Amino acid sequence: MAADWIVFWVCAPISIGSAIAMLLQRNAVHAALFLIVNLFTVAVLYLVLGAPFLFAVQIIVYAGAIMVLFLFVIMLLGVDREERLVERLRGQRTAAILLGLGVVGEVVFAIRAGVGFSTRAPAGFGAANGGGNPQALGRLLFRAYFLPFEVTSILLMVAAVAAMVLARRRERPVASAERRAQEPIEPSEPSEPSEPREEEPVG
Amino acid sequence: MLRQVWLVPALPLAGFVVCLFAGTRLGRYAGWLASALVVASFGIGLGVFSDLVSLPDASRHVVRHLYEWIAVGGFRVAVDLRVDPLSMTMALVVTGVGAIIHVYSIGYMDGDPRYGRFFAYMNLFVFFMLTLVLAENFLLLYVGWEGVGLCSYLLIGFWHERPAAASAAKKAFVVTRIGDTFMLVGIALIFLRLGSLDFTAVLRIPCGPGQHCPPAITTDTGVSTVIALLLFAGAIGKSAQVPLHVWLPDAMEGPTPVSALIHAATMVTAGVYLVARTHVLFEVSGVALTVVLVVGLVTALYAATVALAQDDFKRVLAWSTISQLGFMFTALGLRAYWAAIFLLVTHAFYKALLFLSAGSVMHALDGETDLKKMGGLRRTMPITAVVCSIGALALAGIPPFAGFFSKDDVLAVANQSGHALAWLIALVAAFFSALYMARLVFLAFFGEERTERYAHEAPPVMTVPLGLLAVGAAFGGFLGANETRGLLQTFLAPVLGKVREPTQGLSGPALALISVGVAALAIAVGWLVYGSGRIDWVALRVRLSSLHRFLARGWYVDDAYAAVLVSPAKAGSAFLAYVVDARLVDGLVNASGQLVRWLASVGRRVQTGFVRNYALAILLGALVLLVYVGLRI
Amino acid sequence: MRTPIAYFLVASAALFTIGSVGVLVRRNALVIFMSVELQLNAVNLALVAFSRMHGSLDGQVLAFFSMVVAAAEVVVGLAIIVSVYRRRRSADVDDVNLLKW
Repeated sequence: MAADWIVFWVCAPISIGSAIAMLLQRNAVHAALFLIVNLFTVAVLYLVLGAPFLFAVQIIVYAGAIMVLFLFVIMLLGVDREERLVERLRGQRTAAILLGLGVVGEVVFAIRAGVGFSTRAPAGFGAANGGGNPQALGRLLFRAYFLPFEVTSILLMVAAVAAMVLARRRERPVASAERRAQEPIEPSEPSEPSEPREEEPVG
Repeated sequence: MLRQVWLVPALPLAGFVVCLFAGTRLGRYAGWLASALVVASFGIGLGVFSDLVSLPDASRHVVRHLYEWIAVGGFRVAVDLRVDPLSMTMALVVTGVGAIIHVYSIGYMDGDPRYGRFFAYMNLFVFFMLTLVLAENFLLLYVGWEGVGLCSYLLIGFWHERPAAASAAKKAFVVTRIGDTFMLVGIALIFLRLGSLDFTAVLRIPCGPGQHCPPAITTDTGVSTVIALLLFAGAIGKSAQVPLHVWLPDAMEGPTPVSALIHAATMVTAGVYLVARTHVLFEVSGVALTVVLVVGLVTALYAATVALAQDDFKRVLAWSTISQLGFMFTALGLRAYWAAIFLLVTHAFYKALLFLSAGSVMHALDGETDLKKMGGLRRTMPITAVVCSIGALALAGIPPFAGFFSKDDVLAVANQSGHALAWLIALVAAFFSALYMARLVFLAFFGEERTERYAHEAPPVMTVPLGLLAVGAAFGGFLGANETRGLLQTFLAPVLGKVREPTQGLSGPALALISVGVAALAIAVGWLVYGSGRIDWVALRVRLSSLHRFLARGWYVDDAYAAVLVSPAKAGSAFLAYVVDARLVDGLVNASGQLVRWLASVGRRVQTGFVRNYALAILLGALVLLVYVGLRI
Repeated sequence: MRTPIAYFLVASAALFTIGSVGVLVRRNALVIFMSVELQLNAVNLALVAFSRMHGSLDGQVLAFFSMVVAAAEVVVGLAIIVSVYRRRRSADVDDVNLLKW
C-alpha cells in the first residue's frame, strides 16, 4: 500500500461527497462551506500528483480569496434567504440528471479508450520538476509562456475594472446630469406650434 | 460613286439623330433638314445608279463591305451593302418617293407639337428601309425588316393620345410579328442548311444573264420549300396579305404621309422585294410558288371587294393597297418577277399620290375622312381633284397612265402562261379595283357638296409634291412599257431573269384591249351609280345592307379573329393573371411567407428566457459533439 | 506512485458532472457560480493528472492559467449578480427571464 493510494482513497470520496452535499444545501453559506472542503481535498490531490505549487495556489487563491469573496457577497445579499428547492421548470431536473449521467458515461468511456484504467504515471517526472516544482514552473511561465502570462495580467486588470463598473451604485445626481446631456438642446420656438412633439416626462 | 453607297442609308440616319435630339430646337427647320437629307440620299442613289448602269450587264452586282458584324466560329455576318439592279431600283423608289413625301409632310404636319420627332421617325424609317433593300445578307435584311416594323409602330401610333391610334399601332406590331417570327426561323434554317447567310452564297448569284440560276440547295426541294414558305410568311405579315392583312386598314390611324410612305409605297412592298430577291428558292420548291400565287390572287380579289364598301377615304386606299400587293404576289407566283417589281414601282407612285391627295382633302376638311360627307370638292380643290383623278386612273388601268402598263403585264403573264383561272380572277379583281376608284373619285370630288366646312386648296409645299407624284403616276408606266422595249425589265434582267416570250394564250394587244375594256366598264358603272345622280346609291346601300355590312367589315375576318383568337387569348390571359398568378403563384409565395411566420411562432418558444434552459441546451450540444467525436475515433 | 492516473480522471469527471448538474438544477445565482467553480476545479484536476501522466509541466501551467481566468470570471460574475440583485431584489436566475420571445 503506497501512501498515494491511501491519500487518494481518502480525499477523492470526501471531495465527491462534499460536492454532492454542496448541491443539496438550501442555504448558500452552507454550500460555500462545503465547496471549501471540496477545494481543499482537490488541493491535496494536486499534491499527490506532484504539483505542490498548484496545491498552494489552490488553497490561497481559491479556498482563501475567492471563497471569502463568495461569502462576502452572500452576506451582502442576505444570509437568511433560503432557496426553495422546488423546481419550476418542467423536466429540468430529470434532464439535468440524465445529461449528467451521460457526461459521466462518456468521459469514463473516453478515459478507458484513451488512457486505460491500469496506466500508471511514468517515473521520469522528477526530471521535469528538476530544482523544485515552483522553480520549474516559474522557468516555464517566464520563458515559454511569457506572453500568455502577461495577457492574463491584463485580463485580471480588466476584470477588476469591470467589477467596479458593474457593481458601482449609480448616484442620482450624476445620472440625471447624464440624461440632461443626452437630451437635444432646443430652444423652445413658439413660431412652430403645429409640430407634434414627443411627450417627455419631466424629471 | 459605287464606293459611296453607304451614304445612301447613312444620311437619313444622321437626320434621325439630329432630329431626335435637336428636333424641338430646330423647329420648322427639322422638316426641311430631314427632307434635304433624303433628297441628298436620292441624289447619291442616282449617282450609284448611273455608275451601275455604266458597268456591263454581267458584272452589275457590287458588294460593298463596310465591316465585320458578327464572327462566331463558322457564323460570319458582315455589314455588306449590295448594289445590283434590284436593290438600286428599290433604293431609288424609297428615296425618291420618300423625299417627295417628306417635303409634303412639311406642310401637312405643320403645327404639330411633335413636329421634330415625326421627321426623326420618318428619317429612321428611310434608313431602315434602305438597310433592308441594300442588305447583302439575310440577317442585315432582317434588321431592316424589324426596323421598318418598329418605325411603322411608332408612326401609326404617332398620335398616341388617340386610343384608336395606340391600339392600331399595337395591332400592326403584333400581327406583323407573327410573320416575322416565321421568317426568322426561315433565316435560321438557311444558315443551318447552307452555312451562310450571304445572298451571294445562298442564292448563287451572280450567274450569267438570263440563265436559270440554281441555288445551293437544288437537290433538296423539301428544305427549300420549307425555307421559302417561312420567308413568305414574313412577307405575308409585312405586305398585309391574307390571312395577316388585318393590321393595314387599322394602320390608317397614323398621319397620312406615313400611310403614303410606309403603308403604300415602301414598307408593305418589302415582302414583294423579299420574294423577288429570293425567287430562286421559290423556283426550286415549286410548291412555294403556287402558294404565293394563290395567296396573291385571293388577296387581290378579296381586298378589292372590301374596298368597294368602305366609307373612309383612307380605308378605301388601304384595302386597295392590300389588293394591289395581291397583284404583285400574283405576278411573283407566276414567275414574272419583273412584272411584280414594275407594278411595285408604279404602285409606289400612284398610291402615294392617292394617299397624299387624301391628306390634302383631310387638310382642307379638318381631318374629315368620311366619303359620305365630301362631294363636289373639285370646285374648291381643283389641283387635288386633278392629281387624285390621275392616280385613280392609273390604278384603274387606263392608258397611258402608269397602272395600265404594269397591271396589264401581270394579267398578260397570267393569260400567256396558261393560268386561265388566275387570269379571270385577276381580271375580276381589276374590275373591282377600277370600280372602287371610280366610286372614290365620284363621291369625293363630284356631285353635290355634302359638307358645311369651307374647303381650301393646300399650300404649295403640299401641291408641288402632289404634282411630282402625278407626273410619276402618269408617265411612270413607260419605264416598263413594250413601246420603250421594257427599260426596267431589261435593267432588272441580271437579277430577275429575262422577260419570257409568250408561248400560248392571247396576244399582247388583245389582252391590253380586254383589260382596258374591263376598266372602262367599271368606271362607267361607277359613274352610273355614284356620279350620274340617276341612281340613289344611299337607297341601294340600304337595300343591300347585309351584303354591304359583310363587305364593309372585311368579310368579318377581323371579327372572326377576335372571336377565335383574341377572345380565347384574352380569356386565357385573364385566367393566368387572376387565377394562376393571383391565386396559385402568389398563393405559393404567400404560403411560404406564412410558413416561415408559423415556424417562427412555434420556434420562438425555444427562447424561454430561462438561462438554465439554455445551459441545458449547451450541455446537450456538448454531449452530442462528444458522442460524434467518440464515434469517429 | 501506484494509483492509476485514470482514477484521478474519473474523480475529475464525477466532480465535473456534479458541477454541471448543479448549474442546471439550482436557482440561486451564487450557488450556480459555485457549481461553475466546481467544474473548473474538476478540469484543473484533469489537467494536473495529464501533466503527471505525460511527465511534463505544461498541464500544470495550463491549470494555473485556468485558475487565473476563473478568478477573473468570479470577480465579474459576482459583480453582475450584485448589480442584478440591486435592480430586482433577487438572486434567483429564473427571475431574470426577459430575454425571450
